[in-house]
Amino acid sequence: LSFSLPYSSKRRYLTGTDWIIGALLDAATQRGIVGLGSQAIIEVDGPLSDIMIRQTLQQISRRFPLLHGRVARDWMNLAPYWRSFRSYDGHVPPIPVRMIDLPAGADAEADRLFADHANTPLAGEEQHLRFLLVRIGRRKSRLGAVFDHRLLDGFGAECFFRLMDMTWQDRLEEIAPRIAVTEPAHLDHWGRRFSNGRKLNNRLMNLNDRELCALAAPSAGLRRRISFQLDQLTAAESARFSQLAGEEIQMPIVLPSAASRAVLAMHRAIPQTPLAGTRYLVSTSVNTRPPDQGWEKMLFNQFSFMMLHTENHAAGSPGQIALEMRDQFIEQVMENVPFKIFDSSALLRICPVSILSQLTSLMFGGRLCSIYFAFLRETGYPEQTFMGLPATNLIHTPMAFCPPSMTLSVTHFAGRANLSLTYVDGSMSDETAKELLAEFKSLLLSTPAAEPASR
Amino acid sequence: MADAPSVEAIRQTLCSEIQTLLSLKPGSVTPETALPSLGIDSLRFVSLLLVIEQKFGVSLMKTGLKPADMKTVVTLADAVVAGRKA
Repeated sequence: LSFSLPYSSKRRYLTGTDWIIGALLDAATQRGIVGLGSQAIIEVDGPLSDIMIRQTLQQISRRFPLLHGRVARDWMNLAPYWRSFRSYDGHVPPIPVRMIDLPAGADAEADRLFADHANTPLAGEEQHLRFLLVRIGRRKSRLGAVFDHRLLDGFGAECFFRLMDMTWQDRLEEIAPRIAVTEPAHLDHWGRRFSNGRKLNNRLMNLNDRELCALAAPSAGLRRRISFQLDQLTAAESARFSQLAGEEIQMPIVLPSAASRAVLAMHRAIPQTPLAGTRYLVSTSVNTRPPDQGWEKMLFNQFSFMMLHTENHAAGSPGQIALEMRDQFIEQVMENVPFKIFDSSALLRICPVSILSQLTSLMFGGRLCSIYFAFLRETGYPEQTFMGLPATNLIHTPMAFCPPSMTLSVTHFAGRANLSLTYVDGSMSDETAKELLAEFKSLLLSTPAAEPASR
Repeated sequence: MADAPSVEAIRQTLCSEIQTLLSLKPGSVTPETALPSLGIDSLRFVSLLLVIEQKFGVSLMKTGLKPADMKTVVTLADAVVAGRKA
């Protein structure tokens, strides 16, 4: 069962992760969510030039016509692939850029514009990127990129800003040849993939042997927006949390401690979840890029998933939950779970996205997980300037997949942690969302000893 | 029973394993290389601990590691040696 079906080495076949993301986006569409783009926003001191941005994007667009591609099936082997845009007259469509000038101090208005930007659907099947430039007075600019999560993940979106900066410096051709635009079809090792899939199914069944605490999925038929709450830690606070996390679990990794705070914040802000249960399940992503291959793996989804859980009755002791999650993290690395998900999900690609998306809503009564938690410690934008201006921050307003209707994320820029909570309107009130993020921030900064043993 | 590897042998093995885990060129990791500068993430870090357990029979996951142990290959090798003695 290790035979390989033939495929074209010139094509970019979609991976199982790409396919799962496509299904989750489709599930959100079925629930009426209007904005399906994730957004990354870079902030700079000074006025960015919209003309320079348009020219830069046009150069990148011509160099990478796959930015205007679409999903197709290879009729020879039925594997889905990303069909690149074909121009018969040399014309490549521009990546849209809208520019708005606001008076100094109009930051709240800028926030509203970016929220609207994220909630505006991308136009057509071949548009996967759209930019909004907001200049606030002469001293500040924010450039937001709404991106199709099938084409870029969060880290990839940060790399895309870096590609724009390099292009602006006339260095596009230094980088462009390194960016991978092909991917094998992964139509081999059938026995191994089936075996890995079976083991993962058993794991999922075991995790769902008790009901999960979760938000109720929004009813279909209504058009819904996604909303955001944002906050950040200072560089000193971020460093302090890393140190606390290392001491707490006796290892220099922070994901288990951060995930334990995510659960606890949810438990405290929403003590009675609409779907009551006895277990919290955190679905989290792990970046699978080798550290020196940011450019090579810029496009499409380069991560896999892990699942961390804790009992509802145990919620209240962050140190205890962090240790539990550390052990689960280690066990899943030992079992090679992220690879097994990547490996076996390739088999899912035979299932049309529309059917797979319905399965995600039906499985376990729509309780796939309690919360989606994204923690990205590495940054895809290590530069201190963007297009000649000092870069002050890079934040994300990621997509809220549905289920579970909310995403809590931590990304880093210049040593500072940016916190973001994205949620589907109607899944919780804005006040609850604010409280949840404030609780999360407070928990990140509290010492384990200062926390009560239980609540 | 086989002799315990020397500290130098442990350092060389760790350099080699880290290069493999991070897909780096041979010789790019030395005993003095600052590990945080390599951008080693949680996933690969735990993978490295598993390699250490397999190669040296020391479970740093059980004995615990301080952030100071992860400064360089030298400090990590010292933690392995300490774990063997424990």
